[in-house]
Parts: sequence; structure tokens; C-alpha cells
Amino acid sequence: MDPIPPRHPLLNRRGFLGHSATALSGMAFTQLLGRDGLLAADAERKRPLRPRIDPANPNAARTAHAAPRAKQVLMIFCAGACSHLDTFDYKPELIRRHGQPMPGADKLVTFQGAQGALNRSPWEFRPRGQSGKMVSDLVPRLGALADEMCFIHSLTGKTNTHGPGENFMNTGFTLDGFPSIGAWTTYALGSANDNLPAYVAIPDPRGAPQSSGNCWNPGFLPAAFQGTDFNATKPLRNLARPAGITPETDRSTREFLAQLNRHHLAGYPGDTELAARISSYELAARMQLSVPAVSDLSTEPAHVLKMYGADATGDRTQEIKAGYARNCILARRLLEQGVRFVQLFNGAYQVGGEGTSNWDGHKVLKDQYTVHGEVLDQPTAALLIDLKQRGLLADTLVVWCTEFGRMPTFQAGASGRDHNPAGFTGWLAGAGVKAPFSYGATDEFGYRAVENIATVYDFHATILHVLGLDHERLSFYHNGVERRLTDVHGQVLTDVLA
Amino acid sequence: MRCFEKSTRARAILTVASRWLLAVAAAVAPTGFSAGAAESSPAATTTNAPAARLHHWSLQPVVRPPLPRPVAGEIAAANPVDAFVGARLHDKKLGFAPEADRAAFIRRLYLVMHGLPPQPAEVARFLSDPAPDAVEQLVDRVLASPRYGERWARHWLDIVRFAESNGFETNRERKNAHPYRDYVIQALNSDKPYDQFIREQIAGDALGADAATGFLVAGAYDIVKSPDVNLTLMQRQDELADIVNTTGTAFLGLTLGCARCHDHKFDPISQKDYYSVQAVFAGVAFAERPLRRTLTEADQQRITELRGELAGQEATLTGLRNLAARNAAAGGQSLALRPAVNARLNEETFAPVTTTAVRFTILAAGGAEPGLDELEIYDAAGTNVALARLGSKASASGTLPGYAIHKLEHLNDGRPGNEHSWIAHTAGQGWAQIDFPRPTRIQRIVWSRDRDGRFQDRLASEYRIEAAGEPGTWREIASSRDRRPIGTDEPQAFLKHLFATDAATAKKLQDDLRRTRSQLTQITDGQSAWLGTFSQPGETRRLYRGDPLQAREVVAPDGVSVLGSLGLPVDAPEQVRRLKLADWIARPDHPLTSRVMVNRLWHYIFGQGLVDTPSDFGGNGGVPTNPALLDWLADELVRSGWSLKHLQRTILVSRTFRQSAAPRTDGLAIDADARFLWRFPPRRLEAEAIRDCVLAASGALDLRMGGPGFHLQKVEEDNVNRYFPKETFTNDDYRRMVYLARIRQEQDSVFGSFDCPSGNQVMPKRSRSNTPLQALNLFNSNFVLQQAELLAHRLEGETGTDPAGQAARAFWLLYGRPPDAVEQTASVAMIRGQGLPAFGRALYNTSEFLFIF
Repeated sequence: MDPIPPRHPLLNRRGFLGHSATALSGMAFTQLLGRDGLLAADAERKRPLRPRIDPANPNAARTAHAAPRAKQVLMIFCAGACSHLDTFDYKPELIRRHGQPMPGADKLVTFQGAQGALNRSPWEFRPRGQSGKMVSDLVPRLGALADEMCFIHSLTGKTNTHGPGENFMNTGFTLDGFPSIGAWTTYALGSANDNLPAYVAIPDPRGAPQSSGNCWNPGFLPAAFQGTDFNATKPLRNLARPAGITPETDRSTREFLAQLNRHHLAGYPGDTELAARISSYELAARMQLSVPAVSDLSTEPAHVLKMYGADATGDRTQEIKAGYARNCILARRLLEQGVRFVQLFNGAYQVGGEGTSNWDGHKVLKDQYTVHGEVLDQPTAALLIDLKQRGLLADTLVVWCTEFGRMPTFQAGASGRDHNPAGFTGWLAGAGVKAPFSYGATDEFGYRAVENIATVYDFHATILHVLGLDHERLSFYHNGVERRLTDVHGQVLTDVLA
Repeated sequence: MRCFEKSTRARAILTVASRWLLAVAAAVAPTGFSAGAAESSPAATTTNAPAARLHHWSLQPVVRPPLPRPVAGEIAAANPVDAFVGARLHDKKLGFAPEADRAAFIRRLYLVMHGLPPQPAEVARFLSDPAPDAVEQLVDRVLASPRYGERWARHWLDIVRFAESNGFETNRERKNAHPYRDYVIQALNSDKPYDQFIREQIAGDALGADAATGFLVAGAYDIVKSPDVNLTLMQRQDELADIVNTTGTAFLGLTLGCARCHDHKFDPISQKDYYSVQAVFAGVAFAERPLRRTLTEADQQRITELRGELAGQEATLTGLRNLAARNAAAGGQSLALRPAVNARLNEETFAPVTTTAVRFTILAAGGAEPGLDELEIYDAAGTNVALARLGSKASASGTLPGYAIHKLEHLNDGRPGNEHSWIAHTAGQGWAQIDFPRPTRIQRIVWSRDRDGRFQDRLASEYRIEAAGEPGTWREIASSRDRRPIGTDEPQAFLKHLFATDAATAKKLQDDLRRTRSQLTQITDGQSAWLGTFSQPGETRRLYRGDPLQAREVVAPDGVSVLGSLGLPVDAPEQVRRLKLADWIARPDHPLTSRVMVNRLWHYIFGQGLVDTPSDFGGNGGVPTNPALLDWLADELVRSGWSLKHLQRTILVSRTFRQSAAPRTDGLAIDADARFLWRFPPRRLEAEAIRDCVLAASGALDLRMGGPGFHLQKVEEDNVNRYFPKETFTNDDYRRMVYLARIRQEQDSVFGSFDCPSGNQVMPKRSRSNTPLQALNLFNSNFVLQQAELLAHRLEGETGTDPAGQAARAFWLLYGRPPDAVEQTASVAMIRGQGLPAFGRALYNTSEFLFIF
């Protein structure tokens, strides 16, 4: 009997044979058992799809499973759990019943404990755009773009703690160690640009998100698909020619290295892994030119900087806003260059007390969100406008999300909201999705999703679908399981598709 | 008899699967693909048939196969490994490559077995060694080196997801997880029999190998719990799943975790099996516990002395306390309440009473079952009349079952301490009683939970002590009612009721007591380490769809039922559960244990296993390229007394391992990946080996073994820990990378990108990427530049200023060979033109340095 060829095409040294008939299909069988019929066509339809990876150029562009509606993704993630009730989920009943106890709230156990009364948002909601979508005064500029947005108001999560929540939204699993959605995307599709990383994660100027590298790590996928993290103020590590080494020495060293490698390779003709090693140095050299170029905002005209708020000065809030705005400009520049997946973080890990550095407004929501809204609103809105003006929105799916929602009540004895995974809002914009559109709803107070309830799996399935990827088939064998971004769950939210 | 699917549909699947199996047996050729297109795995259905699952190759007994007959025209292979490999090559119309030259061989051997290059002197010695068994001697030297255990421990740490932080968003460090790493290194270096290595990791607390149980809790652990009990229950389920899955994959190559929510899709593992194994580990908690020292005779003697001193000091102090109470009472005041109870020692004095029995009733003791390590009852002469050897009899409301160290007879055996204690079987309450052989006049009682003070739990906080009166009646002689609540003691309060000299004596006694106790602790307690804690768990139930809110029937602790049963009752003692499972896994005739381990050895030696899914020998895993060889190796491992080094030695001296790595047209055409070993398949080194090799070449490598790890990140400790890469390095950072304190999620900024696992998931087989980030890190990082400078200093120091000599020495240090003419000329020009550090920077980035050939 012949053996099963290697599972990981990338590891397969010679000609990456792909998979033989014996590459078993975990997902296929799950589906087979779970549905009626033992039709070969059904099995065929659910067979794992593993992209064929060229080890010499693992991020070469690959075609999708089906015609894609979007080619690139911009994922904006608000760390700390941004409250849907103070931004995009308008609940008149919450305003009307302000100060009253929430029915059933005495039986509720939330993350930090007991609940106080229902609390309306400190910010007014107003109708925005042609659609008249109600968006709060916390994010008026984003609100003005409501006609571009496809809101999903019925998201539900599986956890009410931050680390698992960030893992869940970014990797599809609450546990540590799974590949991020950007890693899955670049594993499937590679990148249109050979000179830049296929997948860039842009941390907030205040620091990494709470799950840190989990949000962009490759998990068990090969390292070729890890997100490269840098932002407008913190350049990519080890990118620049080291200080103290002259351009002449650097070039000579590179040439000498290439000479030794070529000389050595002559003894190993046809060895793809050695060839891949050499080509990785060539790509690195190209990145040394292209990454500084794409990160150089000095060529951006003053009116663009102003539109994003990158010129903001004054207090600490304005400085953070300017930093985040520069990250937004960087995101646009990366998308312009064809980078497949850009992850933009708003909010950092917890530093300086709860809710100070991110959206975790447990106790003093109004004061803290005043800062966070100021930082988020103008730069993000400008980014959307800019993408649209440049025609990038036609090919780019924009995703705005957070780890979970917050409670319609204030916490007992405090002026802020506790965690709430039972119902929260995310929105999509750009290629492939209906806009203006609102999908699903929470109950009258915004506590629990009640209409068209959607899971994070569904959210992910929909994102992959817009990219032309079948979330049930995009898989990678790891430790006994054909792993998927959506585990064994997920339904594409077809209602939101354009 | 078990039944997986009963429906007609399932039978239909079985028919399809059977047909499919035949198709597999007939060997299906891989399909071709068009460049750049996404592709699907072809013709995949499944072996998901009960019959196929039970008859799966890896579940069949290991039978030592006969050696294949030599191929016509060849003499019989001396090494069975070569006989089996040669036979498969012959099937494939291939043959072995010529033997690699000695320089290539020694470099390969060192990189594979030590993860370090051979020192030039060692290379020279081997090249000129005229002994006919020079290779065998070299292999023996390599296996005897402590560097071997360090290299291979790193492999094992991948398999068991070891890292030194908790993970998740708080990601606190585990500053004392390192004893487990040291244990693994020592176990490998001493060639601890593999069956014992297994037993100790699962139940080392019962086998004198405390540090080994670090295995159980090496995974990530979420310290942020929620008041929402449903979420917390799920977190606990996740923790147990981590232990179950790691145990299954590491030792058995069984993906037990796949059966958490439903019966396994590919293997004969039912959901009930999953929860049976979970029940084995249900008493394991993610926490630190003291690493017990092995006590010497001198230690024991000193303990006895110190306990004597302690008793004297306690007694004198109690006398002074009583005196203070009397003084206070005489002055119209009262020391209203006695000191709070404590775990180490409590005394009750009362008016003398003649009685036949004393009963100690515990009314409250926190959530756990309460315990007493000794109940001493004194008569006027100061004799402990409770002792069994004086004829007294102990009885109790019940005793926690299954613990050799917790028994009723320990109550009055004269040996205090947790190791000889009684624990009740009911949470928070219970009673113990001493019956005297005759009516006895008593006046003082001394009791404790753990005289050594290591355990503070299970302490009776509310109690009542009674003496037997008329038959059937009891009279209270002492209770907790006149004691302060725990945590409210004012240890100095009584001093003001004593005269100055007595007060001074009392104060000094308090100091002495503290000192004596700390001396005692130093002897009895080892360091605390991240090794897990154990307690008797409640019942384990099968959870429908893995949902803690949908508990179904109770399951007994057990293994996987198709491979036999542990035969344990539902309430089996915690430690017994783990011991039994360990024995079940480590039994010599287990079909999986030996096969899985020999395949790992093969995987780490040749870069690919005979089975290409090293932790999955189930139906979804690979099938062996050479089943007979796998079984011969598995049988040989058991026969050798589970000696890993014996197996490695056998493989390393084989023709298979010694052949050249050079490619050949026929081999590339027929078996591009060299899975049948027509050559030694070259491969890139792993992150740790690259770093270690860089340090070894520069001479900076610090070979200090063991202890806490070093850090490549600065730690910002807060509620949520943050880690920032170091930019400058000191000698402490130049230890082997196996000693890096690996922080989950936070990869080293230089070597993390080399497919370095983060310890969040088990990693039985690393990816091998070649990426531009790796190139940038190796070419531009401060670390590599510093090492290039150190290498330059070393070259100057060892060879002087002649570029030709410097180049030659560098080649010996990095590649274990002299440069050829082309390399020599280019190197000299490079050194002359750009200097030695630039030369070294280039060499550190060459393929030859970074690969095993």
C-alpha cells in the first residue's frame, strides 16, 4: 500500500504533490452524517479544499473557490468590547425605561456581578444619511456614512471574558493557539503584491490588543501566513539596514551570501526548499524598499492628513487620535498596494486601569467613551470615505467588530456597562454586501439578540464567502482534525450579500 | 459490544467505505494540479465504518516481523533497519545512496542529536579515527552528552505544549514551571525507560517523581473566571480537555479530544470513552504544589529534634498564656477569647475529668472534608493516653477513601503531619473518637491539622470536644466557642497581663517558635512548582454535545474501551485513577504506545516519520510507509526495556542514516520527498537549533543546565502582563534556547518566526516555512549582528589577522569543513573588503549553516 503523502503541502519538498485519494475528509464526513442522503455530489461539495502552496513563494496569489465579491479585507477591531448601545444599536425602549430595573435582571449573572438599573446611552441617537439609520452622537462621522454600512445587530458570542472574546472574533476559537482569520485568508488566497507582506496587522498606538499576537498569529498554519505587525509609528522590526552598517557593506554582504548559497545549491540541484530559502532573501530585499515606501506618510497631502485627523494636536487624546489616524492612512496605503488582509486595531491591552486604554467601560463609561469615540470616529470615517473616493471599496470588504457587547444596565453602584455576549453589533461595508442595510435585532433593551440571531461563526463564514471561499471546505489538517476557521459551525448570512 | 451507527444510512456508509478501503489498498496515484489554482483533495470519502475502525492497523498487536530476505545480489544487511528500508526501496525500484563522507556525517549527527554543530576538534578526531567502529564510538559519545537531553527535551516539550506563562489576556508568567523541563532533560539524558517516563508524567506524585506531573498542567490556563457558572463550567471542561487531549496524542497518538462532543468520527473512541478518561484527570487542578524533597536520615533526625523543640516552646508559651489569662481575670479583666485555631497546633486545657472516651466533633471546616493529623489526650502525668500502642481505639464518622496517607489509624499513631493524618469523608464536618482501655483521668488535649504547617486547608474552624459520661451521655470539655475567629488573632495582646520578665520570655518564645518552624519548613518543604494539585473529584458525567448543562450518565474513570478497561469504580481514589491509566498506557503489549514513540524518534531523526501524523495514529492519520519496520522498532523498544537510546543508536549507525543527502534523478522522480529513504532528506533547522548554532559558532554559548529560564523579553507586570523584546543581550541570554522562558503568544522577535510553537496547542510536527521575515530577522537583528561581532573576535583570537586563516577557521566552526578554492577566494575578498563581522553576518545566513544535510 502506498503511503499518504504529506499533509502539509508547504512541507512537501519536491513539486508539492498535493493530496492523494487517501487524504481523508473529516468535514466531508461530518456533513455526510449530519444531513440527509449519501449522495456523492454532497460529499464532493463538502470535500476539504486545501490551497496548493508553492514553497518558494507561499504567498503567491491563488484563486478562490468561487467568484469572489471582494479581493481584500480591512478588519477594524475595537479592543475591550465596544458597546453597541452607545453607538449603533438604537433602543427607544431603553431610553423610555431609563432608571427602571431590567425585567429579570436580578437573576442575571454577568462578568463583574450585580446589575443596576437600565441606562440609556449618555449620547443622543439621530437619524443619519438617506436611510435615516439611528446612530449615536458618540460616532457622528461614522454615523454620517450609515448608508454605506450593512449592520448586523444580532451577533452573539460564546464568552464574556476579553482574552477568549478577542480570540473568538479573530480566530474563531475562544482558546489560544488557533490561526487568525487573516492567516486563513492568506493561506487560501496568497497576495496580489509580491513586495509586501500578504497580511498586515496594525496595532493601536497605545499598544497591542489584549490577546496580543493571538489576533494575527498563524496558529498551526505555516509561519508564512502570520500577520506582520507594524504601524505608522512603530516600523517593522529588523526591516531597516542596521545602523552602523553602510549601504556598501550591506550590499556586498548580500552579494557574498548569494554567491555562497548559489555555490552550495549547485550540489543540490532541484531542491525546492533550498531554492525557497534563497527566494525568501530576495523577497526580504524587495520588502526593505516597499515597506518603508508604503509606510511613508510624508507624501500625503495636508488635506488628507486633516481629513483623517492625523494633524490633531493638543492633549493626550488628540495625540492618540493622530496616531490612530496615521494608522488608518497606513491601512489605506496597504490596501492600495494589494495587501490581502489588513487588520486595524482601535484600543489596546489594559493599561492605566480598566477602560482607559480600550472600550472596557465598566465603571465610568461616559468619560472613557468620550475619549475612545473621539479617537475612533473621525479617522475611521475618513478611511471609509478615502477608500470609496479611490475606488477601493469596490474590491475591499470592510469589517468593523469587537469582542462582544455590553449590558443595557449600568453595573450596580457604577456608571458603566458590564460584558454582554448575548447580543451585539458589527458592521460590514464595501464589496459584496448590501448597504444601507440592517440585519437582525436585539430585544427592546438591546440585551439579547432575538431576530435573525447570528453567531461569530456566521460572521466569519460570511466574510470568507464574500472572498469566494467556502468556510466548510477551507481546511488544514492539524493533529487529527481538518481544522476550519468556523470549526463545525457557521452559516453564510446570505441576506446581507449584495 | 459497542455499536456506533445503527441506521440503514450508516450501513450504506460502511459499504461505501469498504469499497473505498479496497481502492486505497490498490494505491491511488496523486493527481496533478494546474499552477496557481486552488485544489481539493480528490476522491476523499472516509473510513468511518465501525469494522474498519476496530481493525485499523494501529490497534492490532505489535508482532515482531521476520527480517526481509536480502535483495538478489546484495549481502544481508547487518542492521535490521537497513534490511527493512532496503526492501521497501527495492519495491520502489530504488536503492540506498552512497555513504556520506565523514565530515558530512558527523555534522548531521550532531545537528540531529544535539542541535549544535560539532566542535572542530571533535571533527578532526573523527576524521582521523582509524578504528573500524569509529562511527559506533562517535554515536555513543553523542548519546552520552548532556546536550542530547537538551535537544530532545525540546521535541518533547512541543508534543506536550509546554510554555512558561498562563496564556490568555493576563498571560502571567509561571516562574517555577522549570522543574518539569529539568525533569524531561534529566530523564532523557539518563535514558529513563520510556514506560517509566510515561508513568511519572501522569502520576509522578505517587512514584517519587513530583516534577514529572508538570506534564498535566503544562498547557494554557485561563485565570479570569466569571461569576457566570455556566461559563466557568465550560472553562473547566476546556482545561480537562487540554489534559485529556494531550495525554491521548502524546502517548497514544489518539485524538481523544475529538470525542468530546460526539463519538469520534474516525476512531473507535466513543464519547463515553472521552469522559472516562476525563474522570481520570477530574481531580487535577492548574496550580503550584511543593516539590517534595527526598528526606535523608539526617533530615529525619533533625525533624525529630525540631519537633521536640517546638513542642517544648509551645508548651511553655501556653503556660504563659494561661498565666496571663489568670492575671487578667484576677484584675477583673478577661482575655475574652482564646487564640484562633491554626493548622499546626491547638491546645485545650480543662478541669481534670475521668472518662472512658473523648469525641472530637467538627462542625465547620470550609468546603473540604476536615482532617486531623493527630489527636493527643494527656493525663496529669503528661502521658498521651490516646496512643494506640497504649490500648486506645480510634473510631470516626468516616474516612476519605483511597488515600494511604489519610487513614483512621493515623489519628493516634503518634506521628503527626499530613502524611499520617485522618480526613473525614464528609465535606465540612465529621467526628473522631478515642476510646480508652479503662477509665482515665485527663486534663489537656493537643490537636492539629498538619503539624508541619504545609497544609492549611481542612482545618476544623468550629468544633466541640466531649468526654463520655454515663453510657450514652457526653459532656462538653472544650469547644471553639471561646476562640477568636480565624484571622483575628492579636498575638501580643496577652503580654500586657504579664510581669515584665515573663512578657520578655513570652516574646522571645514567640520569636523562637517562628525560627524553629521556619527551620522545620526548610527541611520538609521543597520549592513550590507548577506541577498541578490533586484532590478527590466528584462524579464525572458524560456531557451531551460537550455541554456542561446537559449532563448525562455517570462514567467511571477508564481508558479507551476497545483497548481494555481499568476496572475502576466510579468513586476510585484520585491518585489511583492516574496510576492505573499510566500503567494501562505503559503496558508492554499496548499496540499504540511503542509504535507512536518509535515513530517520533524516526520523525526527529529523518525529519519525517514512518507515519507522517506523529500524534494521530487513528483513521484520519497517515499510514506507515514501512509497516514492518515500524513494528520491528516498536517491538525492539519494548524488548530493550524501553530504552530510547538503544533505539536511537540502532538507527544512527544504520546505512539508512549514514547515506548521502545528495539528490539523484531516479529518486526525485519516484519519491521526491525521500519518504522511502533513498537518500538522507535535507531539512531546515528549527528555531532553537539555529539560535544555539549561532551561539556555538561565536563561542558565546553558555552551557549552564537547568533551573529557571532566561528571558528574551522585558516583562511589564500588571493585571495584564506585557512583554517587549530585548534589544541588547548579556551572557545570561546566551544559554541554549530550550531554557528560554517561553511566553505564550509572545514569540521571540528573531527566532519566533521560524515556525516556533507558542505552546498554545500541542505541536507534534512543526511546519518548515522559509519567509522574508525570517530572512530579515537573521540578516538585520541586533542579536545576529552582535553574534557576528563575537565571531569576528573569536576568529581574530584563534587565527590572527590573516584573512585566509580566518576564513578557513570560520568554515570549520560553522560547517565543520574547510572552504573549497572558490569559497576561499570569495571569503578572503569579503573579509578584506568589508571586514570580519560582515563576513560572519553572511555566513550565519547561508543555507549550509541553516540546514541539516
